[in-house]
Order: sequence, then structure tokens, then C-alpha cells
Amino acid sequence: MRGFSFAHISVLALAINLAACGDSESTPVAAPSAAPVAATVTAVPATPAADVQAVSREQVINHYAEIAHATFADALTTAQALQQAVKAFLAAPSADTQHAAKEAWLAARVPYMQSEVFRFGNALVDEWEGQVNAWPLDEGLIDYVDGDYQYALGNDGATANIIANHSIQIGEEKIDVSELTAELLAGLNELGGSEANVATGYHAIEFLLWGQDLNGTQPGAGERSYTDYLTDTNCTGGNCERRGQYLKVVTELLVDDLTAMTAQWAADNPENYRAELQAESTEQGLRKAFFGMGSLSLGELAGERMKVALEASSTEDEHDCFSDNTHNSHFYNAKGVRNVYLGEYKKVDGSVLTGPSIAQLVQSGDAGADQLLQETLAATEKSLQVMVDAAENGMAFDQMIDPENTQGQQIVRAAIAALVEQTTAIEQAALALGITELNPDTADHAF
Amino acid sequence: MLKKLVYALAGVSLLACSSSDDPYQQSSAALGEQVLYRAHQQWQASNQQLVNSAKEFCQGEQNLAQTRDDFLQAQHAWAALQPLLIGPLNEGNRTWQVQFWPDKKNLVARQVKQFLKANPEPTLADLQRGSVVVQGLSAYEYLVFDPEIDLADAAQKQRYCPLLQQVAMHQQQLADDVVSQWQGQDGMLAQLTDFPNQRYAEPLEALTAILQAQVISLDGLKKKLGTPLGRSDKNIAQPYQAQSWRSQASLSNLSAEIESALALWQGVDTHSLRSLLAAEHADLVKQIDAAYLQAQQELAAFKQPLTALLADEQQRQALFTLYDSFDRLHRLHEKEVARALGVQLGFNAHDGD
Repeated sequence: MRGFSFAHISVLALAINLAACGDSESTPVAAPSAAPVAATVTAVPATPAADVQAVSREQVINHYAEIAHATFADALTTAQALQQAVKAFLAAPSADTQHAAKEAWLAARVPYMQSEVFRFGNALVDEWEGQVNAWPLDEGLIDYVDGDYQYALGNDGATANIIANHSIQIGEEKIDVSELTAELLAGLNELGGSEANVATGYHAIEFLLWGQDLNGTQPGAGERSYTDYLTDTNCTGGNCERRGQYLKVVTELLVDDLTAMTAQWAADNPENYRAELQAESTEQGLRKAFFGMGSLSLGELAGERMKVALEASSTEDEHDCFSDNTHNSHFYNAKGVRNVYLGEYKKVDGSVLTGPSIAQLVQSGDAGADQLLQETLAATEKSLQVMVDAAENGMAFDQMIDPENTQGQQIVRAAIAALVEQTTAIEQAALALGITELNPDTADHAF
Repeated sequence: MLKKLVYALAGVSLLACSSSDDPYQQSSAALGEQVLYRAHQQWQASNQQLVNSAKEFCQGEQNLAQTRDDFLQAQHAWAALQPLLIGPLNEGNRTWQVQFWPDKKNLVARQVKQFLKANPEPTLADLQRGSVVVQGLSAYEYLVFDPEIDLADAAQKQRYCPLLQQVAMHQQQLADDVVSQWQGQDGMLAQLTDFPNQRYAEPLEALTAILQAQVISLDGLKKKLGTPLGRSDKNIAQPYQAQSWRSQASLSNLSAEIESALALWQGVDTHSLRSLLAAEHADLVKQIDAAYLQAQQELAAFKQPLTALLADEQQRQALFTLYDSFDRLHRLHEKEVARALGVQLGFNAHDGD
């Protein structure tokens, strides 16, 4: 995916090298496994120097959890607002009430996308996430689709159309879907083992509100009419009542899921995930934080969410593909990374949560590494702001990835490049805190 | 810790002058020339053959079976390069131009159709302007193996041949370009041999990059096997999500990757990652040797293509065992080898999957 340079691992080693080269005699060393990098790390004070604003690692992990809690709590309240808007829409379907529900969905994405930095590294969140934000989906599982609809090969569920049917056939299995409940729909995720079968979560709701975006790389998002929800003879698309029931149920489920996750991050509960995290070594806690930042920056946001769509010119691989909200989702994903590093989160109510940060720890260990990371985080935000501005001026993400749109492609490429730089800086910051093994799963594994 | 530091400083001073008795420099140079560069050359040669093969097939001088064989050679050479992806190939979007996987929504079929509709007689320039999905081996595989296409049929052959030839041509150009960047005074091979250079300040950095590539590949093997195996909660096989399912070369690709990862580990003569660890980490070396052997033996025991194995419950269990062997190899390298070398491996594209 990228050229990887390890220039940073040997700045000190190189300095020593250069000094040593004057020496005509090199002492042979018996130990070929000598560890200059580990030595580099241990040579750097891992604890804050007295003259820097001292924060402890415990405080930093506590505040990391505090930010997670505030972010999920905002995701929850905005999802509750979405639920109210959906209720109002279903009670009186009109272009206006549909628009209000769409606006509520867009607002709910703002905190949720900032929460994704907690997904990687914290296995609990990652395992929970599928039901909440899985994509890309074969939306024909849920509702009617266009004739030219493209789905995963071999996926029986891809054209099951739960809304139009009271039972669906998957392989040899016949499933009764007459009563649309949260439990039923949650159980249909990954139906038949296919990841593209997504029955619940933000993107199911997005599809139900916007409909398929049939414009490819041309302007325009999904254009579902509110009449798809009219329960009288003016119903379009068929099965309007079931469609309304589906939308109602998945929105409720989203609220329930976010309620549960918010509780996992609440303070002073010895039974929840936060207590578990804070009981672990601070090194493992920091490792999880760094892993979340690095994995979201590189593999997920730069890779899965931008590069795949860009290089393959694939609107199927666009994140918020029905609503064309992808630019905002990308922006707030990156914002989440910055929040975690700086220990800052701007809540939905406008207030700002601040506290002991990873940045402060890194600063006292290696001011240069901190500065570099702060700069690259700012540069990423700037590059994604360019993407947001372009989208708001009529060039959505799916238009940017058109092979003929060199200007649009350049915007996406610049954002990817900024994230790659940022990832290298995250690695250096981790190193400054003595974290050489970045993967919490592997680091924890004993042979 | 003090002892470690002394070793480290002495080690570092040794690395400084690229002296011929520096084991790090020797290993980097030997792996560069004997393993990495050689595999790039083999890949280049297989693409040259692919160009000739496509041409002869399209001129009616060669049958479809031979054409498929030539494709399989090129794909195998490419699979063998996976643990060796450092330097030029790893830059820009080059690897994506060779193979597109995972192809979650069968983009290959869709985009080839769309591309041919817009460009019935595509030029190389047309191809290179398009999506990476139509530029590489994935598209070539679709053309020569997909059940919906029959290149033995004259009309279809005429329709698909221009694209077939341009894909081969593009692959050859790509390979020629990459291999040329390995050569010369400032080429990749020199950068694995003479230190410091623009890319690496010292041999350990080069070895770290090599280890990172190997670890990414081992991690990728898990994904390549785990996805079709259906390791989700539903535990249902997904044969069409396998890499190279059309050419039934999924397992052969995995074997090629393991062999190259092993070549990096074992190296040439006494210069390798293994030899660097042999003195101080004898137990680890034993564990890794055994883990490679086990994966090789398990792979060799499969006598059918992956799709057939997935349909057989007993064989499927054996594939899960193979997955565990890949996992073991991955973890041993990512954690233990990195720790023994004293290096930090950076984030990679698989993180978070």
C-alpha cells in the first residue's frame, strides 16, 4: 500500500554511526542480535521530565476513556434525535419530514465517525461495530433495487428483499421474516456468511432514507421519494408499511446499541470495559490508543475508505454512498484521531472536553515527535477540509473518483498522502513512549 | 539493560562503515540480490512470456490451454513477490495495477464489460487511463477463465483479444519499469547493499523494511485463506471471495507466498534473518523453522483446488488448521523476530481488518 521508510528508527543510531566511521577499527561483536533501536528507546526518558507539565500515564488513559465516553454519549443523543425525526416522518410522510430525518442522520454521523478511533485497538468496540456501521452492503437484501444493481458474487441474500417478502430463501434455508423485529434483523447480518448482507445500522437507515445512488460518478445522491412510506394507495415501491416498520426497528436498534456502548465507557463501573481497560498496564492502554489512531489513519481511512474507491473508480466502495456524505465521514474520522492525541473533544453542545493527553506524554519524551505528529494531524485536517469544501461546492466524493476528474482525484490523493505521513508520525510518537510493538493483539499473545 | 546498550552501541558502530564483515549489511545485500531482485526478474520474465502468449493466442498460433498456463505462470511469479514488496513496486499504486483483491462485489466482471463497451478496440493508453481493476492479472484471469466467457469461440475471441493483449503489454511495461528501478547506482539493489543511502540510513533499517514486507504478507495469507473459509460468526464458506478463484490457483498462490517468506527467513548461504538470530535466539529460530515446515507440509497435503476443499467438511477443518499455522508464522515474525532485532514495525494496510 505504501513505501515504508524507517528513517526515524535510527536517528540516534546514525549519529553514532557517523562518529564511529572515523575509527579505523571496528570491534567485532559477538551478538548479531544487538538491539540498537531498543537501546534508542530506552535511552529516551520514558517518564516526563520534572519541568514539563507533568501528567501521568494513568491520567492519560483515564482521559482517553473520558473522551470515548463523551463521543459515544453524543453519538447516542444524536441517534435519539434521529429516532424522533424518523417517528415524525413515519407518522406523516412528506418531503419535509423526510428531509428532517435525513438531516438528523447526517448530524448523528458527526460524533459517531469521531468514535471510530476507539474501534481499532479495543476489541470490544470492533466486535460490536458490525451491527452498527457495516458497509459496503448488498442493499437488495433490504428493499427493492435497480435492475443494474451490482452485488457480491454467490450472495443469495443480495436480492432477498426482506421488505417485499414474508419469507426469504438462503441456500437451502427458508427464513420467516414476516415480523420485522430488531432481533430478527440483527440476526440477518452476514446472512449466509456474506459480509455484504447488512440488515441493520447507519447504512441500512441511510439506504431507507435516501435510496440507491444511481448516478455513478455523476452528480447526485439517492433519490428515494417520501411516497415510499405512504401507507395509502399512493404508496410507491410497494410494501410501504413494512418499509416504515423496518426503518423504525433499525433506528431503535441503533439507539439500543449506542446506549450499550456508552455504558461500557462510563466511569466508576467496575463491571464495564472502561474498568477493564484501566486495570490493564498503562503500556497496553497506550498501545490500544496508538493502534486505534494508526489503524484508522492508514489501513481503514486512507486504504479501505479512500484508496480502494479511488484506484478502482468504484462507487460501490464509497462509505456513505447513498447520501453522498462521505466527505464528512472522512473528515470526522480523522478528527477522532486528532481528538485522541490531543485529549480534546468538541461535544455536540459546543463545549470542549480537555484533559491529560497523549500529546503531553510524548512532548515530555520527545518534543520533536510531538511536534511532527501535531503538524501532520493539522495537515490531514486541512486536506480533508479541502475535500469537504469541494463536496459542499458540488463535487461529492463519488465524483472525485471519476477517472476523468483529475482535480477530484488529486484531492483524494492529497488526503491519502497526508494520512500516510500522519501514520509515520504516530509510529514515532509511540516509539517516544517506548511502545515498539504496536498491535495490542499480537503484543498480548504468548507462545 | 546496560549490557544490552553496550551491545547495541558496539553493533551500531559496526554497521557504520558497510564493512564486509557486518552481518546486517551482508544479510541485506544477500537477500536483496539473491531473493528480492531475483524474484522481480522472474516476474518480469513471466510477463514477457505473457505478452508473447497473448499475441500467439490471438493470432491463432496457440491454444487456450497453453494461454491459461502462461497466465498461471505470471500469477505465480506475482504471488511469489508478495512477501518481497519493498521499494518501487510498493510505491504509487503499482501493486493494485497487477492484482485487484479482495473483489467484494465482482468489480472485475462489471468493469471489464463497461470498459469494453466504451473502448471496443482499446489502446494501451486507454487501458492505462482506466481503473486499476481492468489493468491487471485479475482482468486477464477473468478473460481466460470466467465461465461466462469462452475464448475458444471465434466471435468472443475477437471481442476480448484486444484487451487481453493490452493487459499483457501493460503488465510487461510495469515490470520493466520496476526492474529498471532496481538497477543502477541509485537503484533499489544498491540501496540494500551500500549504506547510508537515500532510502536507508543503515542496514538494520533495510532489514526492518524487509521484515515488515514479510509480516504484511504473512498477515495477508490469513486474510486470503480466512475470507473464503468464512471465519465470521456464521461460519459459512465464501468461495467467490477467494483470490484467484476463477483460475483455481488460490492455494498455489499461498504456497508461492510461503516459499518466498521462507526464502527471506533462510536466505542464502549464511546471510539471512535466520542467521542474524541464530546465536542468541536459538529457541525462536527452532520455532520458526518448525512453523514454516508445518505450513509447507499442510499445503502440500491438499490435492484439490480450494473451492472443492471448501465444500468438504473434513478438508475445511484442515484448512482451519492451515490458517492457524499462518497465524503462528505471522505472530512469530511480527512480535518475536521484531523484538529480537529490536525494531518497531509500523502500521500496515491490514491493521484494523
